[in-house]
Amino acid sequence: MASETTPVLSKQVLLWLVVACQSVSVMACGGTYEYAIEEFCLGKFRLDMEELDQHHWCSWEDTVEPYGELTNCTYLIALKMDCFWPNRQVDEFFIRIHKHYFHDCSLSGRQLRDPPNHILGPFIVVPILVTLLMTALVVWRSKRSEGIV
Amino acid sequence: MNRDQPYNKSGLYCNRTWDGWLCWDDTPAGTVTWQNCPNYFPDFDSTEKATKICSESGQWFRHPDTNRTWSNYTLCNFHTTGKLKMAYILYYMAIVGHALSIASLLISLAIFFYFRNLSCQRITLHKNLFVSYVLNSALTLIYLIAVVNNPDVVGRNPVGCKVLHFFHMYMLGCNYFWMLCEGIYLHTLIVVAVFAEEQHLHWYYLLGWGFPLVPASIHAVARKKYFDDNCWMSVETHLLYVVHGPIMAALLVNLFFLLNIVRVLVTKLRDTHRAESNMYMKAVRATLILVPLLGIQFVIFPWRPENRLAGEVYDYIMHILMHYQGLLVATIFCFFNGEVQAALKRQWIQYKAQWGQRRRDHCSMRSTSYTATSITEVPAFMYHHDCNSEHLNGRHTSEDSELVALKTGETYA
Repeated sequence: MASETTPVLSKQVLLWLVVACQSVSVMACGGTYEYAIEEFCLGKFRLDMEELDQHHWCSWEDTVEPYGELTNCTYLIALKMDCFWPNRQVDEFFIRIHKHYFHDCSLSGRQLRDPPNHILGPFIVVPILVTLLMTALVVWRSKRSEGIV
Repeated sequence: MNRDQPYNKSGLYCNRTWDGWLCWDDTPAGTVTWQNCPNYFPDFDSTEKATKICSESGQWFRHPDTNRTWSNYTLCNFHTTGKLKMAYILYYMAIVGHALSIASLLISLAIFFYFRNLSCQRITLHKNLFVSYVLNSALTLIYLIAVVNNPDVVGRNPVGCKVLHFFHMYMLGCNYFWMLCEGIYLHTLIVVAVFAEEQHLHWYYLLGWGFPLVPASIHAVARKKYFDDNCWMSVETHLLYVVHGPIMAALLVNLFFLLNIVRVLVTKLRDTHRAESNMYMKAVRATLILVPLLGIQFVIFPWRPENRLAGEVYDYIMHILMHYQGLLVATIFCFFNGEVQAALKRQWIQYKAQWGQRRRDHCSMRSTSYTATSITEVPAFMYHHDCNSEHLNGRHTSEDSELVALKTGETYA
C-alpha cells in the first residue's frame, strides 16, 4: 500500500520542490536536500534490500545494483537542486545506511589479508615437521641399506 | 570512525574526517598526520605515505587554490616511474640469469652423460640436481614472461596461471631437496658408514622428486582458501612460508650434516687415509660453499632496508643470488670439478692426437697415437677415486695393482 502511494506522493512533492527550488537560495542544500534524498531515494533502496534476504546484504554482487541506484539518485537530486555533490548530508545519509544494513559485514574490502594466526601457524609448522620426519626417514633407510647389497 | 571513542585529550584538535580516499582520525592542532597510501589505484604505491596537516586553529589544511580541505597524496605516485624502471631492470636480469643457468646446466648435463666413466652415485645425484635446476629455471622463465609481464593475463586470472604457480613452487622445492639429498648422501658415505657399499638411491629419488609435492599442494590449498588473489602473484602473504619453511628446514639440516662431515674428516681421517680425506674434503667444500649461498636469500629475505638506495642494492644482490644460482651450481659442481676437467683434457688430447694422425700419416705418428690412447685408457681408473672408493676396500679387479701404483701419485680436484 505504502509503495503505491509513495510514488504519487513523491511526484507531488517533486513538483512542488521544482517550483520552490528555483527561488530558494543555496541554503536549501542543507535541510531540504536531506529531506529530499530521504523521501525519494531511500524508499526504493529499502524495498530492494527487503526483497533481498537479510543474509545476502553483505554480498556485494547482490547489493551493488540497488546501492548504485541509490548513489545515482542522490547525485541527480543534488544536480536538480543545484547543490555540490558529494556533500555532508550525503555522507551522513550513507553512514546511516551503512550502520543499518552493512554494520556486521566483514572487513574484506579490496585488500586480502592473511588468515588468523591459529590457522596460519599449523599451515606453516606441519610441512616443516613433515620435512624433518621425511629427512630422518631417508637418513635411517640409507644407513640400513649399506648392510644390504 | 563513528564507532571510535570521542577525543579525550585536551587542546584543540581537527575532527576526524573522510576525505574521499582515506579516513583520518582526530588529530591535535598544529601537527601533521600520516598513513599509508591506499591501494585502490594501480599507480599508487601502498608503502608510501599520505599526509594531512592539522593547522593551529583546529582546522584541516585547505589548499590555497581551491580553498577546500586537501590531503597530500603526491608521494603515492611520485616515484612510480622510477620504481617501474627498476622493476624492469630486475626483470630482465632475472631472465638473463635463468637463461644462462639453463645453458650452463645443459652443458654440464651433456658432459656428465657423455663421459660415462665419470658415472657413479654421486654424479647421478648431481645429474638429478641439475635436471631439477633446469626445470626450475624453465618454469620461472615461463612464469615471468607469460604471467608477470602480462597484466591482462593477471586480470583475467585463468586457472592455468595458478597451476603454473603450483608447479613453480614444486620445482623450487625439488631444487632444494636435491641439495639435501646430496648432503644426506655424503653424510651417509663418510660419517655413518665409511666407504660403504653402494647405497640404494630409491629413497633419495623419493625425497628429491616426490616429497616437494607436499608443501606445494598445502600451499595451493591454503592460497585458494585464504588468499586467493589473481594468479597467486602477491608476495605480501605469510602463506608463502608454507613452501619456504620446509626449504629453510632442509637447508639447515644440510648445513648441519655438512659441518658434521667436516668434523669427522678433520678429526678422524686426516691422519689415516690422507688421500681419501683430501678427496672428500674437496667434495664437501663445494657443497659447503653452496648451501649457505643458496639458502641465504631465504634468511635475509624479510629484511629489506628502508632507505631507498640501500633497498635498491639489496634488491640487486638478492636477484643475483636467486637467479644465477644454476650457473653457480654448474660452475662449482661441474666446471671446477677436477675429474671433469681431467676428463675434458683427456678428450681434448685424444682429439688432437687423432687430428694429428689424420694430417700426417706416418708410422711414427701411428705409434705415438697408440701410446696416446693407452695413456688415456689407464688414467680412467685414476679418476674413479672419489666415486668408487668402495672398490679399494671391497671388490677385486684386475686393475687393482695399477690403481695402487697410480694412487701414490697426484691428488685431484
